[in-house]
Amino acid sequence: MGARLRSIWPPVLIAVLALAAWQLLVVVRNIPPYLLPSPSLIAGNFFKDISLMWGAAFYTGTSALLGLMFGTFLGVLAALLAQRFIVVNNLITPLAAGLAAVPIIALTPILNNMFNITSRTPRVLVTTIIVFFPIFVNVIRGLVQVQPVQLELMRSMNASPRTVLRILRIPNAIPFFFTGMKVAAPLAVIAALVAEYFGGPQEGLGSRIASNAANTAYGRAWAYVAAAIITGLLFYVIVILLERWVAPWTSRPRPAS
Amino acid sequence: MRHTPRRRWAALTSVAVVGALALTACSSSSSSSSSSAAPESSAAESSAAPESSAAESPAAAECTTPTPVSLQLQWVAQAQFAGYYAAKELGYYDEQCLDVTILEGGVDIVPQTVLAQGGADFAISWVPKALASIEQGAAITNVAQVFQRSGTLQVSFADKGITTAADFKGKKIGNWGFGNEYEVFAAITKAGLDPAADVELVQQQFDMAALLNGEIDAAEAMTYNEYAQVLEAINPATGALYTPEDFNVVDYNEEGVAMYQDAIWASTERLADPAYQELTQKFVTASLQGWIHCRDNAQECADIVLAAGTKLGASHQLWQMNEVNKLIWPSPAGVGIIDAALWEQTVAVALTTKNLEGATIITGEPPAEAYTNQFAEAANAELTAAGLNTTGDAFAPIAVTLAEGGN
Repeated sequence: MGARLRSIWPPVLIAVLALAAWQLLVVVRNIPPYLLPSPSLIAGNFFKDISLMWGAAFYTGTSALLGLMFGTFLGVLAALLAQRFIVVNNLITPLAAGLAAVPIIALTPILNNMFNITSRTPRVLVTTIIVFFPIFVNVIRGLVQVQPVQLELMRSMNASPRTVLRILRIPNAIPFFFTGMKVAAPLAVIAALVAEYFGGPQEGLGSRIASNAANTAYGRAWAYVAAAIITGLLFYVIVILLERWVAPWTSRPRPAS
Repeated sequence: MRHTPRRRWAALTSVAVVGALALTACSSSSSSSSSSAAPESSAAESSAAPESSAAESPAAAECTTPTPVSLQLQWVAQAQFAGYYAAKELGYYDEQCLDVTILEGGVDIVPQTVLAQGGADFAISWVPKALASIEQGAAITNVAQVFQRSGTLQVSFADKGITTAADFKGKKIGNWGFGNEYEVFAAITKAGLDPAADVELVQQQFDMAALLNGEIDAAEAMTYNEYAQVLEAINPATGALYTPEDFNVVDYNEEGVAMYQDAIWASTERLADPAYQELTQKFVTASLQGWIHCRDNAQECADIVLAAGTKLGASHQLWQMNEVNKLIWPSPAGVGIIDAALWEQTVAVALTTKNLEGATIITGEPPAEAYTNQFAEAANAELTAAGLNTTGDAFAPIAVTLAEGGN
């Protein structure tokens, strides 16, 4: 407990110092809100409109969660197939890399026009596409990079590919899966948020940030940004807790070999 | 490491070079964007530009070095800003000894903030958005209210029967967000509906695809732009272009919630300086002269805008020029002059209309410096003395035929 406290206070201290410096700058230099809002203005807006913050975060969080689930499911499925069949691997890997390179801001208007703009669908699709790549890359690496000596043991016992998968590859892949999830979870929030810039229902964080920025209400815009940060962090923390629950051995220190 | 004299010299020199580069970068970014429009060489002649066809040029002074001026538009180059492009092309700015650079806008560019931060000398912005910026500390002043009427419509297919704001109930109503949605909200509120509960609000992209696909029931449109886009689309049922009879429009002027739109804004702090006041006067006079020319020569101004690099087609620009003329003319009190009653209506709507977050555009009355008729009135006097008509009482719109895709 003492060790954990000792590790927490440096980043907390730096954050507090940074916020204090920001507040001091705005107050002393008398900077108007349309140039740089102060932390006190942002915090004031955040707590005054807390129900709005929660509503917008819930909406975007739901889009992000749906996209995360679909993207993870597809990523894991693709990785399993690609590991098993080399043809699929050769097909999917360049495709996935290409998809990862397409920016959200280019994809969203196209999907908005292909699918109903008044629904969540284009945003969830964008999130799914963005989440697919980190999950796929990490899981397939975990499935493939097993220790050669363990693979030989399996072969010497004439294990079928399915058995090797079940006993060897999947447990090996679990930490890799969670590495991918730790990247994908905040990315899902960002993707869902940015996708809201381009039209559709206006309840989400992205729409609110853009709308308030265009109305020069930067105090409220930043408050929504703070809500977005909290949502992203929440997703990340949930993934960490999930990892501790599913694969507790990954957080215990490994014995020296 | 041995600190030999040569090493020390090299280190000092490199630090000095880097420091000098950093300082020049800082100073050039903080100075106004006039650095991008280099003043003409001292060999520049006075108004060498062609005179406007019907009237004499109002300015007569000798001009040795034109003053660089930048104007930040609210959107990309299109006939909505034809008066400024015409004034530049036809030499009205040159006659006033101004070298004007026109900066195009875009989705994320907030022109009044660019102005307030010193990135431009003047900006075009809608009054409600500028009032919101003023409340957040941006010191800007409306020096010419060019558009006298609001051009915002809510367009829907005729079979939906949406003819007034009260018909929005239970429908999917599109709006652009980004500060353009307040007239829609005001009309909904005035009709006694609750924007959050009685209407399904959807943010449109900046095209009319959602309306034409049937995904939304009524789309926000400007008379001069998006409305033309639907009339340039092919009706799949007939194979020909859509006609106005296929649509219903809700005009926010008729709903009584119209707000002042395009106006020329100047920096309030700089207006304390007599040199900037003179600059503003010249700029306003030449710009209004450009708008007068565009009233009487719509095709020519549409062509000027096309040459300035707009992405929309020729028939679309002519339509836009004509519709913008309808918003400006007639200007009963004179072009660019603010009517106090309409200003009060704009402020009242801005104070009372709540958007989805329950926030209003402004929370308090704008300061007295928010607008002035001083420059517009002087410009009207000068232009009338030069023989130009500044009220447009005889203005009649032309008939424009749209082609598919606006070409």
